[in-house]
Amino acid sequence: MSRQTQGYIAAIAAIALLAIFPVKFGSFSLLSLLHLDVSILSEMLLFAIAAMSVNLLLGYTGQMSFGNAAYFGLGAYGAGLSIHYLNVHFIAATLIGTAAAILGALIIGPFLLRRRGIYFSLLTLAFGQVFYFIAYRANQFTGGEDGMSFPRPYVGFAGWHTNLHEATFYYLMLIVFVAVLTAFWLIVRSPFGRTLQAIRQNELRVRYLGLDTNKFIYVALVVSAAMAGLAGALYGLLIMFAAPLMLDWHQSGDFVMIMILGGAGTIWGPVVGSLIYVIGKDIISTLTQTWQIYIGALFVICVLAFPRGLLGTLLHAIARRDVGAPIVEDTMPHTAWETGTPTGAAAVAVEQKEL
Amino acid sequence: MADYSISRGAFVKGATLAGAAIAAGFPAFVPSRGEAADVVKIGQIAELTGVYVDISQPEVYGAQLALEHWNNKGGVLGRKVEIVLEDDQNDPGIAVQKVRKLVNQDHVSAVIGTVNSAIALSASGAANSLGTLYIVTGGHTDPVTETQCHWNVFRTCHTAWQETQASGYSIFNKFGKRWYLVTPDYAFGHSLAAGYQAVLRKLGGQVVANDLTPLGTNDFSAYITKIEPAKPDVIIVLLAGADFVNFLKQASAYGLIKKFPIAGPQAELEPFLALPPESRVGYWGIEWYYNSDLVFSKKNTQAVNFVKEYRAKHGLPPSARSVFGYVTLDRLLWAISEAKSTDASKVARKLENAHFETLWDGGAYYRNVDHQLMWPNYFAEARPYGTPSDKYDIFNVLDRQPAEKISKPASEQAQACHLNYPS
Amino acid sequence: MLANVAPSVFNGLILGAFYAFVAIGLSLIMNLTATINLAHGSFLTLAGYLAFTLVSKGTSFWFALILAPLLTVVVGVLVERTLIVPLYKRDPMFSLLLTFGLALIAEEVYRLIWGPNGVPFSAPGVLGGGISLGFMQFPTLRLFIALVLAVAMALLALFLWCTKFGLRLRAAVQDTEMIAAMGTNTQLLYMVNFALGMALAGLAGVLASGLLGLSPTMGNSLLMPAFVVVIIGGMGSLFGSIVGGLLVGLAISITTLFIPAANEIIMYILMAVVLLIRPRGLFGTEGLFG
Repeated sequence: MSRQTQGYIAAIAAIALLAIFPVKFGSFSLLSLLHLDVSILSEMLLFAIAAMSVNLLLGYTGQMSFGNAAYFGLGAYGAGLSIHYLNVHFIAATLIGTAAAILGALIIGPFLLRRRGIYFSLLTLAFGQVFYFIAYRANQFTGGEDGMSFPRPYVGFAGWHTNLHEATFYYLMLIVFVAVLTAFWLIVRSPFGRTLQAIRQNELRVRYLGLDTNKFIYVALVVSAAMAGLAGALYGLLIMFAAPLMLDWHQSGDFVMIMILGGAGTIWGPVVGSLIYVIGKDIISTLTQTWQIYIGALFVICVLAFPRGLLGTLLHAIARRDVGAPIVEDTMPHTAWETGTPTGAAAVAVEQKEL
Repeated sequence: MADYSISRGAFVKGATLAGAAIAAGFPAFVPSRGEAADVVKIGQIAELTGVYVDISQPEVYGAQLALEHWNNKGGVLGRKVEIVLEDDQNDPGIAVQKVRKLVNQDHVSAVIGTVNSAIALSASGAANSLGTLYIVTGGHTDPVTETQCHWNVFRTCHTAWQETQASGYSIFNKFGKRWYLVTPDYAFGHSLAAGYQAVLRKLGGQVVANDLTPLGTNDFSAYITKIEPAKPDVIIVLLAGADFVNFLKQASAYGLIKKFPIAGPQAELEPFLALPPESRVGYWGIEWYYNSDLVFSKKNTQAVNFVKEYRAKHGLPPSARSVFGYVTLDRLLWAISEAKSTDASKVARKLENAHFETLWDGGAYYRNVDHQLMWPNYFAEARPYGTPSDKYDIFNVLDRQPAEKISKPASEQAQACHLNYPS
Repeated sequence: MLANVAPSVFNGLILGAFYAFVAIGLSLIMNLTATINLAHGSFLTLAGYLAFTLVSKGTSFWFALILAPLLTVVVGVLVERTLIVPLYKRDPMFSLLLTFGLALIAEEVYRLIWGPNGVPFSAPGVLGGGISLGFMQFPTLRLFIALVLAVAMALLALFLWCTKFGLRLRAAVQDTEMIAAMGTNTQLLYMVNFALGMALAGLAGVLASGLLGLSPTMGNSLLMPAFVVVIIGGMGSLFGSIVGGLLVGLAISITTLFIPAANEIIMYILMAVVLLIRPRGLFGTEGLFG
């Protein structure tokens, strides 16, 4: 059995596991054993999607975004505002939220494109904070610090619809998650995705091949924003609330952390990370008031010992043991900061000198 | 490419093994909650990390004391009571998840808690969709008992409106009519400002300026330098928590507090004790105080014992926050025992309009039209060094306003709040 | 309103000096090793708490002002040698994430040691009041902070430009590989540089505790302003951090005067503008981060 087949089987097994997690056998379920509510599983999937959005940018395009929470929050507020003012239903609310996030990326994308590396990251941070403050200040619409409460509309049409209780919501999230995961997988395998990875490794080289890297990165930004926005809209619908903190850099940092914990540059990494972070934090914070120490220690240990993330380390170890099997070029998460080739402003300077 | 100095293989092996072991054994570490059927569980969400721990912790302590008192009397419905505490981490989303966990996994009969207004709102919604009773202990924002009220939600602490009405008249009478407002720029701050502006309109006063400060401002110098040229009669500080401490500390250094009187709707013991004594000035609305005849006389044995017990246990006198926690759990358990059931709508009906005597003189009741606790609000002057016998006795209560006088009339509330009991 | 401009400008500059002071320790560490220290706020808070403990045990404020930063240096260097050294060879992203984790741990540890409540800490009487400047009364503590900053910068400059070790440090900032190839002990350089950064952070922390309420989360509120200052002033330049600080302080002050609603956003708008027009910042070195 080839590694690839093993990979498919593992993926299917994982999805199956996620599906049976909340199912009750008698009076027990895997979920209740861990003393978890099915609602937190939904959150885990949605944060995984948000972390995937960061992964698309870092793991595959080599650009670290510290502002994806802005899209996440835009999604939540988009959904909430449309429910509050336009009385839309579930699917429409989700689509509007996602559209709001896409719009956000379309607007600030051109600014972000002007820089690479750490300057890009800082710009994402700065713009993310600007969105955060707008959500905060526009308190006539958004409720400001108090946040925005909204009901969860039913899924469907006027003729046929169903209310979503938490368990049903979860399975809907699972479907969405699998769809997004598949889309993500298809994207990174596509020529577009390959180009992104090439950009991560050496953007200058890609330019020399005649491709407009700016266009590729712009599309990646928009796709990333769409994913984060989708996750945000659904999260807003999960908790029936939208709050400014959803856009804050701390939230962005959480998504980055989840990606790193699992493994940047891997498909399932964000899911593993989300499992550890969302579920782990929920369990640990229930157990002890000093949970923050454990989560902080988790980050520290992960960075020191598992820089590839848990899944990434595992995959890397497997790949290295496969003597003769092609070893994928190092997917070690790194931004364009540390490669020897000039990037960012320096690259632009070099290019301008050539002209 | 960077490379690593740690041996990968052994580490990965070891870690995977450890991970597997933990995953296998983990359920053993998770405390078995929700097992015993002969315990009544009450969920409490509180801010145990982040910026509000100092005012949230006393609410937890207060509730714990009420728990002990009830359990000493044999519990409720013939069963012992247990509090299941969860940290909402100052995050409305996490608060919702914790409420769901408390109800679905811990099988709590009701939820209490939070000092965070956003969380009060998000948790209210979550509790409502679960059909669980939720009593807000310390979140003051008006919508909880107005436009966003629910049949299953009650609130113990005062509303922003009540606080401004209580202190507004006293401040006007004491200092004059030109007010400079320093308002934290969020819903609660705006409610306070609106409340004071209503008072001023009635009395013919004037808002000289209303400066909106971002939440979490660490430097107020820019605002402080604007105040002096405006020459107000009084500076109204609507800030709370760390902002409050920063502002007073800095205003003191600019000599502002010597030049102008300072006043506001809500002073709390905890942030005041965090101030250096020379900055502990002003005249403040205060929701409760542990040492004042205007709040409770020596004849109120429940209050006297509460103070004694709390202080012995925690080293600090109880604050209004402690009282929020205590009264909330106390009344909740009373209502459950009166209803002879933990069914949320039955308990809610019992809570409504039930008058009771408690840790202050004058009694209280949760009003039926909006589920807001109706109780007096007080006005006090700060006393920087306390008294010779008690360095924590930093407030001197001067005045008190009864609930009916400071609240929006029931008819008005009925317009804003639609409880929507399930039929 | 125009009468307020002079006090606002002056206030803004002194506020800027404070922000510069908070940022300078961060800048020093970043310049040499590209370490992004998100635990910077935690070290500020630590110094404040140490000073508070010292003073409550009876030492004078002035003694605490010296000792607390020294203790912070000890803790900081311990952290650096054990946790941060492994990251020097790696992408700066990792130092960012690791220090983020450290900040989480630190906040809870402070809560456990000193309690969740803010503790009353203030500068001694002589620094507590204000000085009349004619057009306004100004807090002595703020002027003192500006003074300490000036003195500290002078000492730092003396060290960097007039000692051999300082020379090597400056050379290392420009080109670490070369200086290592010439035989210098780069690990010692890193350590001393970190210690310097910690000393400055410690000083800033003690002084900040006089301005702000001292609580487990005090330092967090200063973290973002510190970063913004370093970015605007330019990464790789200490002088840039000072100028950046002054600019940020001035911007906040003037914005509060004319458009109060924008005064928290202004910092990020400035940052975005700088990044778009001149990403290395006003005085930054090209290519510090690639």
